[in-house]
Amino acid sequence: MKRLVLVLALTGGVVPRLAAQGSTQDLLQQASAFYERLDVERALPLLRQVVSPSWPFEVTAAQRVAAYKYLGACLALVGKGDSATLYFRAAIERDPFADLDAAVFTPAQLRLFGEARRLTFAVAVRPVASARIDPRTDRLTFTVVTTHAGLVDLELRPVSSDSALRLFRGVSDGPRDVAWDGLLADRHLAPAGRYELRITGSSQLSRRADSAVIYFEIRHEVAPLEDTLPDLTARDLVPEQFSRSAATRDLLRGLVVAGTALLISNGLASRHLGGSLKPGAAVLAGAAVVTGAVAFAGDRRHPDIPGNIVANAQRRAERAGQNAAIKARNSAKTAATVLLVTPAAGIGP
Amino acid sequence: MAAIGLGAFGIALSAGPTAAQRAVTPFASLSLAEHRVDVGYGVERSRGAILGGGARVRLGARVELALRVQGGWLNAATPGAVDRDVGEVGLEAGVRAAPWLTFRAGAQRRAYSSVIARQGWTLVDVGAEVRFAFARGTITGVTRAAVVPVVSVSGLPRPDVAVTAATGLQIRRRGATLGALYSLERYDFPAQGAISRREQLAAVTLRLDVGLGRR
Repeated sequence: MKRLVLVLALTGGVVPRLAAQGSTQDLLQQASAFYERLDVERALPLLRQVVSPSWPFEVTAAQRVAAYKYLGACLALVGKGDSATLYFRAAIERDPFADLDAAVFTPAQLRLFGEARRLTFAVAVRPVASARIDPRTDRLTFTVVTTHAGLVDLELRPVSSDSALRLFRGVSDGPRDVAWDGLLADRHLAPAGRYELRITGSSQLSRRADSAVIYFEIRHEVAPLEDTLPDLTARDLVPEQFSRSAATRDLLRGLVVAGTALLISNGLASRHLGGSLKPGAAVLAGAAVVTGAVAFAGDRRHPDIPGNIVANAQRRAERAGQNAAIKARNSAKTAATVLLVTPAAGIGP
Repeated sequence: MAAIGLGAFGIALSAGPTAAQRAVTPFASLSLAEHRVDVGYGVERSRGAILGGGARVRLGARVELALRVQGGWLNAATPGAVDRDVGEVGLEAGVRAAPWLTFRAGAQRRAYSSVIARQGWTLVDVGAEVRFAFARGTITGVTRAAVVPVVSVSGLPRPDVAVTAATGLQIRRRGATLGALYSLERYDFPAQGAISRREQLAAVTLRLDVGLGRR
């Protein structure tokens, strides 16, 4: 049969991956069926084929673990406890989460599996599933496991940082759920990026130690933030002081009015009739000169423009108020940030 | 007398921005006027006081209409002159081309009344007004000049020269505008025979505008 399969594989070129998985899965199903009928003698060869290095088809980690488990179970049924334990350990080493269903397997098998767990020390973290976490109400749960009692240290850190958040430290035996509130050690929301969750453990039954790492990505889902208003420029504000030229212009204005009054009373008036109300024009001209001079002096000595200062202060206060409101709205939006968690592959940043 | 009208108009049309922004701005004026005329027998002068009143109405952001009524008396100040009463009604329109420049046109009907005669004047003038506010904005200088292309005087031909000019200051305070203006009208009539008639009317006018209504 193996030769036939091998020949088919070689002559057929590249065997489609799905077909290969299907072949392994088919074999496992056959072996399982034999096992269910307690036909161990027929199940064992099939299971050994799956774990054999010469098995030409792809075997997933889960399939290999299943094969080892069934091999251990079969051998336990036929009384080969040591061999069963060996296969159970192989399953556990590959998947520390591996377990036997007490409703399916016999107490003897369960006992041997437990013995295998005691002889093997491994730690693992279940890969993070994609999740949408509202840190205000939700928690992201990590599931870790030790094959038997051990001192466990579970740390989370952004891959771009050496600062780690310790999520758990203590003795753990078997699976354990550890919840994370989305905050880092500084009690701020975890920024977007790539994260490493590392579990290290040391056995309390032996001197063995183990570690495992998973990676995941965090993105932020936050409502679009508003930009604060830009700083006020000179174009947005009115002058708060009179310039020297403004003072000079005031003086000139007064002189212009005075000159115009005199020009009208003397130049425009008929020479034949003579100027009319010249004293009146002169008084007005004098008033204009005095007004210009007073304005000039006032502008130079007291250049502040109180009305404009108040107006600018109001504009600044209004802008500050608007920016404060924007910041408040942005803070509210930021506080409502949702963490989008997705598993990530790889071993580095 | 035309100078009185000019003075009243000058101040009315150059009222401060605050008053000008109001929908209706009534005003009152008091003028010291001097009338000079030479009809070939030397210069006759008469002086007097003119009281006036009226209202300006803004039509939109640029257009303004003003109606003015005034009257008073001119007492003879030289031999040969006669006392007379004067009355005038005028209508004027202004279009603001820039914050500092307004083009204006006006029409007035004026009447001089004395014991010996009554003379009617019809005037239409076209001109411009320049305003230049002092830095603090409270005081504004106003200068106006206009030609009078239409002058119809009972018993007289159309003058060769008909011009008016005025200048003054305004101070604005809490919606009220007080102005002082010097104005002068000059009319040189063509010679009839050996006699040429010249008239001149000058006035120093105080005028108070009080804004009403909403800005």
